[in-house]
Amino acid sequence: MTSNNLCNIHSSSSDYAQIANLYDKNKEKYFEKIPVSLYEWFNANMAAPLGAVLDLLEDNLNDVVFDHINNGIKSILQKNGFLSHFGFPLQVDSYGTTIQYKKMKPDDGRYFREYVSTQFLNRPELPNMSVGLRKKMTEAMLELFVNAQLHSETKHVYTCGQFFPKYHTIEFCIVDTGIGFKQKFLQRFDKKISSVEAIRWAVKDRNTTKIGVSGGIGLAILSEFILRNNGKLQIISGDGFYQYDSSGEQVEKLYKGFPGTIVNVSFRTDDTNNYSLVSEAKKTALF
Amino acid sequence: MSPITISVFNLVGNGFCVEAKDGDAVFNSISKALQQEQSVEISFHNVEMLTSAFLNTAIGQLYRDFTEEKIRKLVNVVDMADTDIALLRRVIETAKLYYKDPSWLEESVKLIMGEDE
Repeated sequence: MTSNNLCNIHSSSSDYAQIANLYDKNKEKYFEKIPVSLYEWFNANMAAPLGAVLDLLEDNLNDVVFDHINNGIKSILQKNGFLSHFGFPLQVDSYGTTIQYKKMKPDDGRYFREYVSTQFLNRPELPNMSVGLRKKMTEAMLELFVNAQLHSETKHVYTCGQFFPKYHTIEFCIVDTGIGFKQKFLQRFDKKISSVEAIRWAVKDRNTTKIGVSGGIGLAILSEFILRNNGKLQIISGDGFYQYDSSGEQVEKLYKGFPGTIVNVSFRTDDTNNYSLVSEAKKTALF
Repeated sequence: MSPITISVFNLVGNGFCVEAKDGDAVFNSISKALQQEQSVEISFHNVEMLTSAFLNTAIGQLYRDFTEEKIRKLVNVVDMADTDIALLRRVIETAKLYYKDPSWLEESVKLIMGEDE
């Protein structure tokens, strides 16, 4: 049986495509052994989309087996707890750079809150960031979780992150295996658009698929923060790939669709902007 | 009538006001007061984190059921950080537009459909 090789996974569109292809190649299988190999490099935050698709394959009572993992990759995926889901022992993260891999139910807001507090907000070993910056990042993570909770109709939410000290960045990834942006748009407006267009529509300020309640500002605010922070936002939903950073929007149609939605954010930890200063915060004309 | 204080922390049960469903408890309390012409002070004392999803249901929804004049007259926000006020301001502006002209959303759908063709 040929192994499903994932090679040199960072977080570019082709890397998400490798994970989507792995799912597509195996999605019709039942009661089979599915061997997976990880070569060269694997960004730890990408454990979230990988975990999501492997979970779907295991839902069909397949047996996922890692038959080759490079030592460096194995070590980081043992430290962040991902490989514990596949029988490997947990390794101590002595450098304190991992944000643990977790699988949780979408209605488990309390659990996610604790996760964000312990893994990020109150983590002394993460780099020295202003209170305002750390708060903005935490709020972004919470908004993303609530988005998945409200819109995706998923059974589980998968999260994982990684701090890259050398590059002064934190990558955080949140994944669901729900209906995706395109289907959500179809459900709400009874109109068919591509996955890419559904994502582009959803990130625009005030666009929402909620009925009877205003909204649609969570992703818009996140985009604004990303721009100011010089970070990066990626959304992969179905066969749509969307990326937003200081160079603008970049979209792409993936050859095979991802069975749900991935939101991956990259934050700069060396951001010196003052996020506590709000010039027009006058309470008088609030309402 | 002097205003009554609604503690967001107490209604939610902790300082992370994140989930939309938690916002409903706050919305229901404010609604009850406004229905009785009772003025309210919404206190965000000890609230650490807020999301737009929470504020949409806690406060944004008020614009569906009450006039802007009534909300302005009877509702006041206290103990809120400046950065959170900026978020709340945006939630309020969005809610005003949304409930005033729901067809606005349909227009944005038409726009993306046009781009898609």
